Amino acid sequence: MLETYFERINEIPNSDKFIQCIQCGTCGGSCPYGMGTLFTPRRMILAVRAGIVDEVLQSGAQWLCTSCFTCSLRCPSQIPITDAVIPALRELSLLEGNPPEELAAALMNITRYGNSFRESPRKRDRWIKEVDFEVPLISKKKKAEYLFITECFGAYHRRCKEITKAFAKLMDLLGTDYAILGNEERCIGDLVRLCGEFGLFEDLAEKNIRVFEKYEFSKIVTHDAHAYNALLREYPRFGFKKEVVHHTQFLYNNLEKLKEMFGKLDYTVTYHDSCYVGRRNGIYEEPRAVIKAIPGVKFVEMKRIKENALCCGGGGGGVWLDSFIKDHIKERPAESRVKEAASVGADVLVTACTLDVPMFEDALKVTGLEGQLEVKDISEIILEAIENS
Amino acid sequence: MKICAILRLVPDLVEEIEVEENEIIPFRYMPNERDEHAVEEAIILKEKTGAEVEVIGIADSENEADLDEGLGMAAAKGADKLYKVVLDRPTYKRCEIAKALADFLSDKNYDLILTGIQAIDSYAGNLGGILARYMDLPYIGGVVEVNVSNGNTIVKKELGGGLLAEYKLPLPAVVSVVSAERPLKFVPFTKLRQAMKKANIEEVELELPEIEGVEVLKYEVPPEPEITLIEGDVEEVADKLIEALKELSIL
Repeated sequence: MLETYFERINEIPNSDKFIQCIQCGTCGGSCPYGMGTLFTPRRMILAVRAGIVDEVLQSGAQWLCTSCFTCSLRCPSQIPITDAVIPALRELSLLEGNPPEELAAALMNITRYGNSFRESPRKRDRWIKEVDFEVPLISKKKKAEYLFITECFGAYHRRCKEITKAFAKLMDLLGTDYAILGNEERCIGDLVRLCGEFGLFEDLAEKNIRVFEKYEFSKIVTHDAHAYNALLREYPRFGFKKEVVHHTQFLYNNLEKLKEMFGKLDYTVTYHDSCYVGRRNGIYEEPRAVIKAIPGVKFVEMKRIKENALCCGGGGGGVWLDSFIKDHIKERPAESRVKEAASVGADVLVTACTLDVPMFEDALKVTGLEGQLEVKDISEIILEAIENS
Repeated sequence: MKICAILRLVPDLVEEIEVEENEIIPFRYMPNERDEHAVEEAIILKEKTGAEVEVIGIADSENEADLDEGLGMAAAKGADKLYKVVLDRPTYKRCEIAKALADFLSDKNYDLILTGIQAIDSYAGNLGGILARYMDLPYIGGVVEVNVSNGNTIVKKELGGGLLAEYKLPLPAVVSVVSAERPLKFVPFTKLRQAMKKANIEEVELELPEIEGVEVLKYEVPPEPEITLIEGDVEEVADKLIEALKELSIL
C-alpha cells in the first residue's frame, strides 16, 4: 500500500518536500476540519512515515479535507499537502473500493456521463434555450477569441445555471467574441483529481484537450474556480498551452466598459475569497475593484479575508461529502462563513466560484439567515447593476 | 464451489428513450443495478468461501458493446471468468432468454446461480424464477445475504415491513438478490480500464427458442400527469386544496 502511495506522490510536482516535514502542526491548526479529525495533515504524514496508513484510511480522515489549500500555503516546508499528500491517500481508499457513497456515485457518473449529476451529456447546453439572447456554439462559429467553459455545475445545477446565464449575458452585452463547446464539453475534472481519482482525471484532460484542438480560440474563460485551476495548472502537462482567464479577471479587464453601463445598487456587500480564485491563484484585488465600482454599493470586509479566507466546504469533493462531513463536525464551514458575513452587516455575500453559491445558500437555511443575507455570484450582481440603470 | 452471476443490460434512463408502436429504442444500455448486486454478492461469497466466480453477461448484437463496462467492473472486483452471451435476436420475452440460458448453463455445474431480483425492463423476479424452473432447481428471491454451509445455501430474505427471514435451500440453487451485503465496491477508472484490457472474456452466441405466450400489442408513452398550480395566500391555497381534495373524494 505504501509503495502505491509513494509511486503516486512521486509523480506530483514538489512532492519530494514530503521528507522535509518538521511536524510543526501549522497545517492542522489551519485546517477547517482540524478539530473534527484524528489525523490532521501533520499526523497523516507521521502515520505514513510510521507505516500505519491503514489507521488513517479507517478513520476516514482523508475525506475530511475540502482542498482549501490553507495548509499548503502556510506550510513552512512548502509540502504539497492539498495536491499530493491527501489525494494520494484518497486514491488508496478508492482502490480499496469503499469511498463515501455520495462521492463514489459522483465519480461513477463522471466516468459514465462526463458530469457528476447523472444527466445526459446531450443536455449540457440546455441552458442556452433558457436565455433571451443567442449563445454561440463553437461547432458552428468555428473560431472565437474566448472559449467559455461552463463546467458541470454551471451547465446542470439549477442555481449555478443562473450564474452561467448571467456571465454569458455580460459577455453578450460587452460584445465579446466568445463561444461555448455545448454538448462537446465534459467535466474538466479538478475535483476528480483532488479526490484522488487520478486515472479518471487524466482521461478527462486528454479527451477535453482533443476537443479543444478541434477549434480555433485564443483564450479560455470560466466562472468555475476549479475548472480555472485545472486548466491553468494541470492541463499544461497534458499539452494544453492556451491562456486561461477567470471571470473575475475578465470582468476587471472590461471594467471601464462596464462602468458606463452601471446603475445604482443600494447594498452592503462583502466578498468571499473562493479558495481556488484567491488563496490558490492569487486573484484578490480584481473582484474587489469590480464590486467597489458599482455605484451605491457599500463594501465591507469580513474578518477572514484573502489568504486567510474560510472555505465554503464544497471544494475537493466536499460538495459530494456533505452527509459524511456532517457526521464529523458540528458546524460546517459554510455556516460559519455566512454568519461571519452577517456579522459585518452585509446584506449581500458576493462570491466568484460556482460551488460557493449553493453551499452558502444551504448554509443560510440552516443558520436561519435566509431573508437577511443574499448570496450572489459577482456576475449576477454586475448584471443587476446594469439592469438597474 | 462454483458460482455464477447473471448480468443483464437495461436501457439507460439518463438518456431519452424513443417509444414507437412496435418497438422501444433506447439511446444506450447500462448494467442492470440489481444484477450488479448479484455480482457483488458472488464476489462476497468468493471472499467468504474461496468459491470460483463466473459472470455471465447477456446482450444482443445491438447492445453488446454496452456490456463491456459491466464485465470489466466484475473482473476488476475479482471475477475469475467472464462470458459475453450474445443472443441471436433482441427479445422482450424473459421465457426465451431463460430457456436459452438454462440450456447454456446445463453443463457448467454451478453450485449457485445468482441473478438480480428485478430489472426495469421486465416484471420483477422474472428471469431467476423462470430459469430455476427450466433447470429444475430450487429458487428463492428477495435475498439480501447469501451463505453456504454443508451443501446448502442459507439466505436472508426480505419479508417486508423490516422483517428478515432465514431460509435453507439445497445446492445447486438459483437465488435472486435484492441487494448485496455491502454497497457496490467502487472501482477506480484506471483499475477498470486495466481489467477491461486484461479480462478473459469468452464470447458465446446463443440461439433463442421461439416461445409462445404473452405478446406485445403496442408500446405507448403514459400520458403526462395533469399538474395544477394552486396560487394565492395561505388561506386561499388551503381552501382551494380542500375543494380539490373533496372533488377527488379524498376528503
